Amino acid sequence: MCTTQGATPIRLKRRPIAQSIENLDQLMNLEKGRMSRDLFWDQDIYEQELERIFARCWLFVAHESQIPKAGDYVTTYMGEDNVLIVRQKDGSVKGFLNTCPHRGNKVCFADLGNARQFVCNYHGWAFGIDGGLKGMHASETYEAAGMDKTEHGLHPVAHVDSYRGLIFATLDPEAPSLAEYLGDMRYYLDAIFDMDEGGTEFIGGCVKSVIQCNWKYASENFVGDILHAGWTHDSGAKAMVGGPVAEVHKTPEQSYHVNFNGHGWEFNQDIVGNCATLGEKELLKYLYVLQPKVAERLGELRSKMIGAISSCTLFPNTSFLPGQNTFRTWHPRGPGQIELHTWTFVNKKAPQEIKDKWRKGTMMTFSPSGVFEMDDGENWEYSTRSNAGFVTRQQDLYLGLGHDTRVEGTDLPGNVFQGQINEANQRAFYQRWLDLMKSESWKNVPQRDVPKMKEGV
Amino acid sequence: MNAKTALPEIGVDAETQRRVEQFLYREARLLDNERWDDWLALMAEDIHYWMPTMENRRRADKNGSYAVDRGALYNDNLVDLTRRVTRFKQPTAWAEDPATRHAHVVAGIEVYQGEAPGEFIVHSTFVNYRSRVEKDNDLLVGRREDVLRADDDSFRLARRKIIITQSVLMAKNLNTFL
Repeated sequence: MCTTQGATPIRLKRRPIAQSIENLDQLMNLEKGRMSRDLFWDQDIYEQELERIFARCWLFVAHESQIPKAGDYVTTYMGEDNVLIVRQKDGSVKGFLNTCPHRGNKVCFADLGNARQFVCNYHGWAFGIDGGLKGMHASETYEAAGMDKTEHGLHPVAHVDSYRGLIFATLDPEAPSLAEYLGDMRYYLDAIFDMDEGGTEFIGGCVKSVIQCNWKYASENFVGDILHAGWTHDSGAKAMVGGPVAEVHKTPEQSYHVNFNGHGWEFNQDIVGNCATLGEKELLKYLYVLQPKVAERLGELRSKMIGAISSCTLFPNTSFLPGQNTFRTWHPRGPGQIELHTWTFVNKKAPQEIKDKWRKGTMMTFSPSGVFEMDDGENWEYSTRSNAGFVTRQQDLYLGLGHDTRVEGTDLPGNVFQGQINEANQRAFYQRWLDLMKSESWKNVPQRDVPKMKEGV
Repeated sequence: MNAKTALPEIGVDAETQRRVEQFLYREARLLDNERWDDWLALMAEDIHYWMPTMENRRRADKNGSYAVDRGALYNDNLVDLTRRVTRFKQPTAWAEDPATRHAHVVAGIEVYQGEAPGEFIVHSTFVNYRSRVEKDNDLLVGRREDVLRADDDSFRLARRKIIITQSVLMAKNLNTFL
């Protein structure tokens, strides 16, 4: 279990950006489905994103299964801030900026491991797994200077919390709770991360790569763009299943866009559509056997989502694909580059041979060498790079699909839209982006979406 | 490391060394020229084509920087390799059209007798340079450990382990074999 770091003094200081960008409203007209390309190119917008999106939102930092024992750690990023995520002796999880408070050197150079302490290479400052400064090389010189070690531990992140095994952190002490931040999206997250008793785990480590694109192109693709699959991924589908991608635009009555607080999920109810692209019959059989049990556990609708044609982004930059079981974070690296970290998730109680098939299948399809992902990167790179042109940059983009598809009066949580070929989630993603970019603090962020789920559920 | 590394390194005669070198040079040329089917024909039925991803772990960490049950850019049998080739050959393989230009440079070829008769353990280094459209240029450098199996007057590739230097792949994709 994770806990927020209530007892730890928050030492993060924040100097707000000198001048926030004016007229952000002019960047988009979502009613008309029009958007400016500045979002994907402008350096000032990017700097403001680092403050108002990445240093503010709850960001995915680790899966519980990656750090089961005290001292287990992973290093990752929150925006461009390198952080150390560490399991504590009491089972809780703490996060710290991975930088020594003495001269700023990076403290931990490993991607993951187990540690009793973290020692800075520069002057030997040694930190416990709780972040406290325990000692250093030539400690008597500091004692002579009257330095108080308790004031110089690693800088903690503001809050850490988890949902269904997914650990998130925020760098903003004023952030709402994780439950409030995820809101109604938790209802759908359960379909994947709580479909089976015991939940999920990450297996097989992390695959990392660099794409020269703006982070939002990747996030908005997974938030709602199944449309591209039928075209972009035709070659991958023919390689893996011997035919084209399913024509989901012909059956909108069976599929949805749902979104909440800028998070979005597009899905239909074909149970195994995504999973089928891995070309492993045993995996389909596993899901078909599991589906009635999920129906008992979570109801019919969610049981049909467990491996269906679908994709999800948790605002701002974490995405996953049910069925293909790839989980990924798009770390921003300036307006024109991302560092992509991907993992494979599986049900903890699945048989080992099923887990092995998923580990292999995920990487065969969705890794830099994967037959599907292969064609995504180039699209996003050139969607970004085209905007180098001064005049090109000033032309609008279109995201108007699915106006008037909102489903009113439904019991389903979140904002529900009929048909997974839609751009409702993309518009909601950019609306949330705009709301956060315009707000000086969490207090000013408008609460557009009314939750149907209770916060504590 | 792979158990095969622990085998005594028993050399081979100059003619075998020359034939193995020719095999690897020809293989590289087939890949440069996108002769995918001819390349597939070099694979043994039981090929394991493996390229693990590298993790940064401290030296004291016994888990090592890669393992067979962890991340991999390739962890393929013949069916998997054939699927990848099927994608390359589709007219809708958009990220291959216009064509990518490849140069596979192979060097440092060492040949030793393998575990089974007619098998050879072959170490080599490689440089792979890919260029696409105007100025998408990607460089990969690494080391390979192969098991070649004698087949008539040539060889088949039965195992390949590919170790690259990058832990973060500095490219949007990996649209080639190494």
